[in-house]
Amino acid sequence: MKKIIAMLLAVMMLASLGTAAFAEDKVTVEVIAAQYGTKTADWWVGFEEKFEAANADIDLVVEVVSWNDINTVVDTRIANGQQPDLLNIDAYMKYYESDLLLPALDWCSEETYAKFYPAFLAESMDAEGTVWAVPDLASARALYVNTDILAEAKVEIPTTWAELRAACEAIKEACPDVYPWGVDMTTDEGQAAFAYYTWNNGGGFVNADREWALNSAENVEAMEFIMGLINDGLTNSDPANDTRYALQDLFAAGKLAMMIGPTQVEQYVADAGNKVNFESALIPANEGKANASMGVMDRIMCFAEEGRSEAELAAITKVVDAFYDDEPYAEWVLMENFIPATIPGGELCIEANPDMEKWVNLVAGAQFYPSIEGWDEVKFGVIDAQQQMLLGEDIQEVLDILQEEVAG
Amino acid sequence: MRKNKPRTLLDKTEPYLWILPSVILMAIFIIVPIGSVFQMAFSEVNKAGIIKGFAGFENFEKVLTSSKFALVLKNTAVWTVCVVVISTVLGFILALLLNNAFKGRKIARAIVVFPWATTLVIQASVWKFIINTDYGALNTLLKTFGIIEANINWTPTPAAYFAWEIACGIFVTIPFVCFTALSGLQSIDSSYYEAADIDGATYWQKLFKITIPLVKPSLTVATVLNIIYVFNSFPIIWTITKGDPASRTDTIVTYLYKLAFLNSKQGQAAAVSVIGFLILLACASVYMVSTLKKGDE
Repeated sequence: MKKIIAMLLAVMMLASLGTAAFAEDKVTVEVIAAQYGTKTADWWVGFEEKFEAANADIDLVVEVVSWNDINTVVDTRIANGQQPDLLNIDAYMKYYESDLLLPALDWCSEETYAKFYPAFLAESMDAEGTVWAVPDLASARALYVNTDILAEAKVEIPTTWAELRAACEAIKEACPDVYPWGVDMTTDEGQAAFAYYTWNNGGGFVNADREWALNSAENVEAMEFIMGLINDGLTNSDPANDTRYALQDLFAAGKLAMMIGPTQVEQYVADAGNKVNFESALIPANEGKANASMGVMDRIMCFAEEGRSEAELAAITKVVDAFYDDEPYAEWVLMENFIPATIPGGELCIEANPDMEKWVNLVAGAQFYPSIEGWDEVKFGVIDAQQQMLLGEDIQEVLDILQEEVAG
Repeated sequence: MRKNKPRTLLDKTEPYLWILPSVILMAIFIIVPIGSVFQMAFSEVNKAGIIKGFAGFENFEKVLTSSKFALVLKNTAVWTVCVVVISTVLGFILALLLNNAFKGRKIARAIVVFPWATTLVIQASVWKFIINTDYGALNTLLKTFGIIEANINWTPTPAAYFAWEIACGIFVTIPFVCFTALSGLQSIDSSYYEAADIDGATYWQKLFKITIPLVKPSLTVATVLNIIYVFNSFPIIWTITKGDPASRTDTIVTYLYKLAFLNSKQGQAAAVSVIGFLILLACASVYMVSTLKKGDE
């Protein structure tokens, strides 16, 4: 009996050695992907299975990480020298600044590269014209209004700041239990609030030369406008702590008349199970200024690795090509309820869901957060600055200090 | 008569072999991380968290000259002192009550454990839900009983938010103090109280002359551990306010998390961590040495 057990163990050891040797023949591609929704992880499992079935020589390892943890996970992996081959996340700048990335054309085939909207690629381009990350999807922000509340207050959907203030005052008068306007200046996404108002007043994070211009006259005026609404009680009571998700909850419950949100608000309201009649429109702008929509883009980037072979780089390219294969890519984007980043993907999405057309058009003309050095400090800085304004600090002074800290 | 055998080398080394696994574990999980935080604090660290070279005291200088750091230190002191002092007093009083014989004492003791046994993030989320202005349980309850007509904003200022966070911190810390004190109370020999009764001592005399001096060693340990836990506590503040608005409710731990993972300044975050470590080390050492010294006297 003992002999049989010993033989079995020996056979198992040999088999495991054989497997290890077989595994060593395979090229491993490691991917860390952001979790967009409840179906993301399952989708990647399916992708992995299909990809490995079609590419027996490649071992694809995908780790799906929630948005709450992805920065911590990636930073820890990088600090330990264990960065993945491919990363799907929002911003690429800090990895670029740390010289960790490969240019997109080193790992993305020309065929796939040609599919992207050129304006999207330009958002990940350095001053020499090299693209360092490719977009995986995008989202646009628009104004959402509860049409029943607006009808009760006898106001139209506002297109200008003056109309917005008038609508808020009318709503407060007609529906005292409802917050007229939703504002999120939290650590979660306060930088978006800064963008909504400054971009719609001709200002923004940077000037025409792509230099930080946080204390411009347009920005000060924009902040004065939104702080005016807050101080007059025309918004949710706690903009420093009410995240966009809290606002979406209030909107879906019919307790918030108007808010700026992403395309997913429609699904969010539908899932809440409360009947709310709503419409989407352009974000209101100051009188005489063009309406600006805000686009948010996520990206895929490839980390440089010393001693990476041609075969390994080719395997990465195969993964990227498979991911952007038109039909499965369009299905994935529709599943996640976002806007595609490729031209054929956009066409397929519109074909499958004609309602997507307005969003595809909207994001095509949208402004994005600046992809230049120092964005992390600026993002953190504008959130803090807005929260100081909420506490009554002088707007001009706060923005001057921030500009000084960022631009020196 | 049995002769003592001469001690062999194995006999001499055996105790060290037994404690070796603990020493190795402590070295891996305590000393190495502390060492790497110190290394990072004195290094130039790029945005991706990679050490690029020696930076001397530059990270410390940036932290100490930042406009926020004094505020964050003050918040940390208020947070730690309030939570530790109030929870120690309330926990001790609760332990005195639970030390009495009464019907349902076991159930009462089990109930006291609940806040301790629940995850801090869940506790903090529940408190956040209770005090929410728009759909919070507190407003709903008060409206149901007709005490208020319209919703009350329970968190109109950063100070109010911080007070609620401290209340939550006290609530989750009381059980630990209570059970540590209770174990001390149960170890007091009843003959002391019997002798005091014969001498005609009052309740307060027994409390201050017998109970408190004999429970003091247990309370000292509980207080030192609490200072460390509360000072380093992250989940309550992060769940309720994330240190907002403008760091008004930040403590050292939430502030360094923001620096490291939202602002990509990991060198400065490590410097804050080292400063926190040194403060904690000093406070805990001074408190423990002075208290135990008095106890010995």
